[in-house]
Amino acid sequence: MKSVIIGAHLQRDDIEPVAEALAVGDLFLSGLPVADDQPLGDRDLLLRVAKVRAALLDRATFIAIRYGFAGSPPEVASKCAAHVERWRALLEQHRDEVEMTLKVVAPEQQPRPDRRDFTSGGEYLKALHAATTAVDVDPDFRAAVENAIGKGRWLHRDQASLEFAALVARDAVERVRVAGEELKQRFPRVPFLLSGPWPLEVFADDRGE
Amino acid sequence: MDETLEELSLLEALDHLLDRGVVIAGEAVISIGDVDLLYLGLNIVLANVDAIVRTGRK
Repeated sequence: MKSVIIGAHLQRDDIEPVAEALAVGDLFLSGLPVADDQPLGDRDLLLRVAKVRAALLDRATFIAIRYGFAGSPPEVASKCAAHVERWRALLEQHRDEVEMTLKVVAPEQQPRPDRRDFTSGGEYLKALHAATTAVDVDPDFRAAVENAIGKGRWLHRDQASLEFAALVARDAVERVRVAGEELKQRFPRVPFLLSGPWPLEVFADDRGE
Repeated sequence: MDETLEELSLLEALDHLLDRGVVIAGEAVISIGDVDLLYLGLNIVLANVDAIVRTGRK
């Protein structure tokens, strides 16, 4: 039996009985037990994990762990041990906050570079990165988003859209949703999606720091 | 719920599940070396953008 790991939490009670709680240092990981030969790309499993993830966030804010990390409880605990101190600090700091994201579709998609046009993998990756970071949207819309939602980060994720991620107090989620509706009225031609609440995803990922 | 909005919520939830959060020592990238999962992630991103545009037109 292995467990698909969903997140890192401050307390066991934040997890049980919604999911399995695995101790790692003085924190707890939420997991979903599955058979060892269970393929992680299975659609039903993905949907189950997405559902459990939402139910866990209803209980308390946690750090999201990227889907695909699975193993036996001892393996998982040993691989996560080095992160515990940092995770604890983040969880204590953001206990009453959740993430909200606003994804906006760019007016012009950047063409995806063709691998056959490059002689090295490195140059191809650079071109992919350049195409992604070249995506931009109306500066007035960007300013309005920051004004409506608050401080956050703009992220380049693909060649067609740009995403704004913000930390929002749990009791301000409804206010942000209303601000999103007002943005729709003000910018009817800009296709965007405001979504959340989400667990700590962008603001817990140290690769962007 | 409107069908397009329902599809959009599901795609968004899966996009967050597959493409956000802490990566454990490269583990997620490696286990996502399960190539099907990589393709799934890419398709969800593309479908998600398409669904946002369709919803915006309504």
